[in-house]
Amino acid sequence: MDCTNKLRIVFGDATFGVHGEEFHYIFSYGSGGLESLVVKGKEWLYRSPRPTFWRALTDNDRGCRFHLRSGMWHSSDMFQNCTGIRLWVDGQEYEKPWAPNNNQWMDKSFAEKICISYTYETITVPATTVEVTYTVTVEGTIHVNVHYHGKEGLPELPVFGMRFILPTKATGFTYEGLSGETYPDRMAGGVPGVYKVDGMPVTPYMVPQDCGVHMATKWVEITRNYVKSNADHSNEEFSLRFTMDKEPFAFACLPYTAQELENATHHEELPLPRRCVLSILGAVRGVGGINSWGADVEAPYRISGEKDICYSFKIEI
Amino acid sequence: MKPDITWLDNPEVFRVGQLPAHSDHSYTLEGKEAALCLNGQWDFAYSRCAAERPVEFYKEDFDRSQWDKIMVPGHIELAGYDKVHYINVMYPWEGMYYRRPAGFGEEKYAKGQFSEADYNPVGSYVTKFDLPEHFEGKRVCISFEGVEQAMYLWINGQFVGYAEDSFTPSEFDLTPYIRKEGNLLAVEVHKRSTAAYLEDQDFFRFFGIFRDVKLYAKGDVHVEDLWVKPVLHEGNTSGSLTVEVKLSGDLEEATLEYVLKDKDGTVKLSGVEKCREAFTLAPGETMEVIPWDNHNPYLYDLELVLKNKEGKELECIHQSVGFRRMEIINKVMLLNGQRLKIVGVNRHEWNCRTGRCITLDDMKWDMELFKENNINAVRTCHYPDQIAWYGLCDENGIYCMSETNLESHGSWGKYACLDASWNVPGDFPQWKEVVLDRARTNFETFKNHPSVLFWSLGNESYAGENLAAMNAYFKETDPSRLVHYEGVAVNRAYEDRISDMESRMYAEPWEIEEYLSNNPKKPYILCEYMHDMGNSIGGMKSYMDLFDKYEMFQGGFIWDYIDQAIMVFDEITGEEVLRYGGDFDDRPCDYEFSGNGIVFGDRTPKPALQEVKYYYGLHK
Repeated sequence: MDCTNKLRIVFGDATFGVHGEEFHYIFSYGSGGLESLVVKGKEWLYRSPRPTFWRALTDNDRGCRFHLRSGMWHSSDMFQNCTGIRLWVDGQEYEKPWAPNNNQWMDKSFAEKICISYTYETITVPATTVEVTYTVTVEGTIHVNVHYHGKEGLPELPVFGMRFILPTKATGFTYEGLSGETYPDRMAGGVPGVYKVDGMPVTPYMVPQDCGVHMATKWVEITRNYVKSNADHSNEEFSLRFTMDKEPFAFACLPYTAQELENATHHEELPLPRRCVLSILGAVRGVGGINSWGADVEAPYRISGEKDICYSFKIEI
Repeated sequence: MKPDITWLDNPEVFRVGQLPAHSDHSYTLEGKEAALCLNGQWDFAYSRCAAERPVEFYKEDFDRSQWDKIMVPGHIELAGYDKVHYINVMYPWEGMYYRRPAGFGEEKYAKGQFSEADYNPVGSYVTKFDLPEHFEGKRVCISFEGVEQAMYLWINGQFVGYAEDSFTPSEFDLTPYIRKEGNLLAVEVHKRSTAAYLEDQDFFRFFGIFRDVKLYAKGDVHVEDLWVKPVLHEGNTSGSLTVEVKLSGDLEEATLEYVLKDKDGTVKLSGVEKCREAFTLAPGETMEVIPWDNHNPYLYDLELVLKNKEGKELECIHQSVGFRRMEIINKVMLLNGQRLKIVGVNRHEWNCRTGRCITLDDMKWDMELFKENNINAVRTCHYPDQIAWYGLCDENGIYCMSETNLESHGSWGKYACLDASWNVPGDFPQWKEVVLDRARTNFETFKNHPSVLFWSLGNESYAGENLAAMNAYFKETDPSRLVHYEGVAVNRAYEDRISDMESRMYAEPWEIEEYLSNNPKKPYILCEYMHDMGNSIGGMKSYMDLFDKYEMFQGGFIWDYIDQAIMVFDEITGEEVLRYGGDFDDRPCDYEFSGNGIVFGDRTPKPALQEVKYYYGLHK
């Protein structure tokens, strides 16, 4: 059997492995997500990526008491439950693919396409679900499809997307999109182009708050130069690219989670940067500007919690 | 005359022994510098209140050997003496003292409220100087360009005067007491006085000598005041100039030669006049002129030379002149016949290391940033700026709303309600002259700047008879400019008597449309909008679209230019960090509310600036 153009797959007891010459992906059942993303020997994940529902409040968010209406998304961002996992290999579903069912597929070692979806349930009241589906094709590209199910009674969201925490700092990132930091209601002045940013700048707003969002992005490439592996001493740069699928996306590449930013009242209180928090976003709330003591963001730039949000992107090696 | 500490408590005493406000023109004295800067290290003593101050410190034999040194100009708080405090609407004594202004209710609350307070710090300053040789035998005066908030002045043991109004020059004649060498200048600065009721701006509350101190000598004949009145005729190709001159000194057989030149040096007007106390030059002769505006801030140079009867040059002035025409026609504000579109920003004077004590380099930086980002207007929130700023506005075509030093927000904007029961200046007769004086000083100082299109009565002071009197003063005195005041929006009873324009702050786009589509009375301007606190400036399009929709929508000033934050060393890491309200144990306070700039406290641009540049570029 000619396997050179196929994915090597591993029906593990607790994980599902997908391998190519230059990549190794491990989808975990226990951690509820993609646990390992190794490209050319470099690990790209610190913890399994999860949907994100929170941004560190902006001064205007605080001013219009957004957090008092939508605060439940804060805890949903931190705590969420993986309630379902489904796996398809070459279009055929494999139910409960972990042990002991995996014993029956010992000889199934290659595939052209695999697809694994995770369902996450929020701790909001009422609860809702998000489905994140990873599709891997032979060249190693991971298509990520994200579907938030809107539910009546849920408050507006500050943001929605996927949060990837990378194990070490980024030395910088390059993207094709708009210049500067942009938001849905503040992007007219953004000039389209390819931009290279050094490090992971946190915009020095007097009180740390959500920042660093880049709207209308076609692709972003993150560059790092070290890993946590004790056996890898290289300082050579290596990169990974996130590319739009059907529509451009928004992203932020920061050294901190929303909670870390939220917790600080001054920049000097933020922890020493150690990792890279990359958010690939399907919906972003505007920042507003009418005033900072009550006026909400204009209606078109708010994110309803009651409507579905679907978006997709690709991770290219 | 003897100084009286109770002047601090009396709103009717605000200038004692001060020279009248006059035009801000500079000049040379017999070909030499007419001004000597007295900035530098002065001797200094801090006291917590008036009762603890060294009362006789101004005496020549007073023992100051144990005193500290302080840098002039600078804020006393930033030199480490008194606590840094940021507070917005509330008066800074909120929760510490029950205070009511003179004129309201029982006078027992007003009596001694500042002079007898157990906390009302005093800075006692002393410096020594010798007269430059060419000042000898001349009339010698002193100008304090900014002292917060009330000051008493002595020289060589003699009391000279008292001044309030922190943001305009306070000038005194030292001639009777001056000597060639070893002059002893003594200044007693009080943190608070009745002026505190009028200076409740949303900023860090500082005190001290925070702008330049300059000694100047007058020529044997001196131009006390100059009022250039350029007129741009309809059609914008011709104009005329009238110059009102006030002189003092030995006028006999002295002459004043004047020449107006364009940028190429071509003489447009010239003549010689015999010196008199007050007279008018070049009254209204028509000539070809190039108009001044944002796109082409064309300035002419008016040279004035005073000579004595022997023909010796006494003083020489170079005054910039810009020809422009500001008017309202069919309820639309027009500059040189064109609809005026303001794409502006409010600007506090600020530097994160030195507070409101800023340098010419800071100003030039700001001006460059304005130009790079299509900002065409500035509101000097909420006090007159340093004189140099107005000159930069002239040269760079930045339309200036020159605000009078007045804000009394805490006297009517209370916790969760509007309560104007003791609003100052309100209708209180005791508070009328002081606010009129502030208006007059604003006008007299900056009247020659073509960039000043608007006089603003001040900010957030409600509306009453005294503000109406200020409005009337500007209207009667200066027909070449418009008067602005927003406070009538909260007291509509005065809307026909105050402000040439409907000015609003933070109106939502739909509110603006509501006004402009319902038989509007006045052209519309947003004196503050797009509150750029933290990560903001979203939704600017909704405002900018109004330019095309309503002729009477004439733009606005973003709030604001620079984050007011203070650079300090972090007590944990030792690194330089920016701090804000509440970080100095200052309470009650308004924390991060002073961080609304389009640039950060260290003047680096905020990301939102590209949005401002884009939209302002469409309309400037």
